[in-house]
Amino acid sequence: MRAWTMQWVRVIVAILGLFAPVGYAMAQEALAYETIQPSHIRLGESATLRVTSLSGELKNVPLPAVSGLSFEEIGRSQGLEFVNGISLPSSSILIRVTPQMAGIFSIPGLTPKSEPVVLDVVGADDSSALGSRKPPPAPTRPLVATAPLPKGVELKAGGAAFVHLVIPRHEVYVGESVPVDIEVGVRPGIVTSLNGLPTLNGGEFTLNNLSREPERRDRVIDGSPFLVMTWHSVLAAVKPGDFSLSVDTPLTVKINARSAEDMAFAAWLGGPFLQSMYNGIAPKEITITSPSSELKVLPLPLEGRPKDFSGAVGDFQVSSDISPTRAAAGDPVTLRLHVSGAGNFDRVDPSMFDHLDHWKTYPAKSSFTPSDAVGYKGEKVFEQPLIAAQPGEQSIPGLELSYFNPSTRHYERARTPPIKMTIATSLADSSLSAPVEAKNPDGAAANLFAQGLRPDHSQPRSSTGELRPLFFQVPFLAVPASLALILAGSWFAVRPNPARTTSKAAERTLAQLSAAARRDDSFSFFDGARNALLQTFAARWHMPPDQVTLAEMKLRLGAAGEDVERLFALADEAKYSHYQPGSTDFQRWLGLIRGQLIGEGK
Amino acid sequence: MRALRVAMLLIALALCGGQTYAQPAQPRYSADGLYNLANSYARAGKPGLAVLNYERAALLAPDDPDINANLDHVRAAAHVATRSRGRLARIVQAVNPTYSAWAGVAGILLVGFGLVVRRVAARFLWVRISGILIGAVLIGLSASNAMLLWPRMHEAVVLINQAPARVSPVPMGDTAFVLPEAETVTIVAEHEDFALIRTRGGVSGWVARANLGAVVPQARDSLDSAALNSR
Repeated sequence: MRAWTMQWVRVIVAILGLFAPVGYAMAQEALAYETIQPSHIRLGESATLRVTSLSGELKNVPLPAVSGLSFEEIGRSQGLEFVNGISLPSSSILIRVTPQMAGIFSIPGLTPKSEPVVLDVVGADDSSALGSRKPPPAPTRPLVATAPLPKGVELKAGGAAFVHLVIPRHEVYVGESVPVDIEVGVRPGIVTSLNGLPTLNGGEFTLNNLSREPERRDRVIDGSPFLVMTWHSVLAAVKPGDFSLSVDTPLTVKINARSAEDMAFAAWLGGPFLQSMYNGIAPKEITITSPSSELKVLPLPLEGRPKDFSGAVGDFQVSSDISPTRAAAGDPVTLRLHVSGAGNFDRVDPSMFDHLDHWKTYPAKSSFTPSDAVGYKGEKVFEQPLIAAQPGEQSIPGLELSYFNPSTRHYERARTPPIKMTIATSLADSSLSAPVEAKNPDGAAANLFAQGLRPDHSQPRSSTGELRPLFFQVPFLAVPASLALILAGSWFAVRPNPARTTSKAAERTLAQLSAAARRDDSFSFFDGARNALLQTFAARWHMPPDQVTLAEMKLRLGAAGEDVERLFALADEAKYSHYQPGSTDFQRWLGLIRGQLIGEGK
Repeated sequence: MRALRVAMLLIALALCGGQTYAQPAQPRYSADGLYNLANSYARAGKPGLAVLNYERAALLAPDDPDINANLDHVRAAAHVATRSRGRLARIVQAVNPTYSAWAGVAGILLVGFGLVVRRVAARFLWVRISGILIGAVLIGLSASNAMLLWPRMHEAVVLINQAPARVSPVPMGDTAFVLPEAETVTIVAEHEDFALIRTRGGVSGWVARANLGAVVPQARDSLDSAALNSR
């Protein structure tokens, strides 16, 4: 029996001796790996990536390029590592990894055979995310909590992950906001990355305000460590009915292509063989789905629905205030309506004032301050600017909000009390009133302005009812305008006097005739007289001079016509026979001509 | 028929007179009263209202040295730039606007009579020419005075310190800049309870009318003041 046993031992040793170089060669080729410490850090911290080779000294490795991470080589080290009792020389390169953003990063292998590592970076102010990583305050407390798998939830991806939709109630109303939690548990190292946020299956619901950064905590579930991430969100149904809900989550999981028997045999053989088995693990993108949750959506009742109901569903309280509390006419004040509680605040829209007696109203604007992560609870403030139109005691009526309360299953109405305030006279209106100096609180400023002032004048001597200068007062403008019109009309209406013009022409003619008489120039005298008379008669009788005949003159002038006829005859005589009358005759004819030219003989 | 016309004329006169007497009493302004009121505001430490009333007093008595001196003093104490006027503007504006307006009317009369008389009489040539020239000078003086006063019809004084000038005429509009008290600005446009103002630096913004006092009160302001005085 002993000999038989020894024989088998020799056979096994021989086999091992034959395969040892092959396995060592495989190990030499494959035993290079990376580790990162710590694998969970905050934004602003750094982790150390160690690249280790068990096959001799590592040469330079290219630094990886990962978006959101920066790498810096900080040193090298040499040493020995024990693998299954065999000491192997190791060579390591230390690389500092500094993140620029929060997220889960997969750093690819830096050597041909090494596997990628995962770095989890949380925000600098995310205290909950790393709470589980902090050293425990007491050594007796466990490092991570042990928890069972949620009821009805199954592990997916070969036991590497699960997703769970947590709904507090299974009967909701249309439009009602329901806070929900989405829990995703992953096994670090097996699940290498999350490839997106969880999404809801079903178009009848909306998932609002999904938190961007989930809460993180470590749990041991079924004896395996899990990183459980929880997203908070608000679910709202868009139509009534019975529905089932589930959540999808995309992941990347390392899946081993080798069979379980191969893995067990490799584990029995030891380190180098086990390492060769791990080389068969490859990442794969999958989507896991949560178990379905049943949800009944009820319609909002029509009975008792207020006319001003805007779709607000929840439990709300209202209050109002105004600021500033003291204002003058024309000063803007802000009326605020505070709506607090829990519900769908996006549908909370109370009717502010469109019109208010003695006030000028402006459109209101609103702002919401959530008190939880998803905006289910908080306070919505509506601010409406108002301007008082007149001074005195003013009252602003109360504001109302109608909403449906799912707890009582009835429509309810919240009211604010009226607000009273005293509006003072505006500064512009009181500019003509004497100031109340005793109430002036700013004595230093008053002294500053008072020093160097010239003294008051005596009592007013004259006053006016209008500060606007006369130029710009319509009643006054009528005065120069009327004057200008009258004078312009006069200028056009008043024409030069024709009698005066004629008189002046006659004077000139008579002067010429007198000069001819003094020279005894009978031809010039009589010829000039005849022409002047013809021109005068033609103008007077409105006919051409050549149509003024002797018959016409006799007819129009009567007895004077005979004298004019005699003068025309003497003119012909003087022209053709050189007639020379005496000086007495010249004076007589001058008198006759003067009488006709100035109209005395008409 | 004539009796009917006379009756209608009397009714129209009665209605017109009734409307005139039915209107509230207009406030009476005097340069001395406004000056004294401005002094009291200055002593009370309210430079905005003081400058407003000095400006109003200066409209009625532009050549009063006390008004101009105290206006400059309060502006300097409030750290607001004082107004600088050219020599010609000082000369033209030294004349009382009321006298200047009536001088313009006299100028129109002189020029008009001179031209009309020339149509009917050739005598007194130099008298007529002198009248026309004097009338033209009076019209020019009056027109210059009116042109220099026209911008002040749209001026206003900031009544509160740090008055916000907004980018839009609504109370919740963003504040573009703030105005110091006693700053004099020009009102470019108005929209409801806001006035679009332009500073001397050329910057524009919407300011609540309650924060401004117009140098020449609008009709509504006058009525409000009258109602205030009657209380």
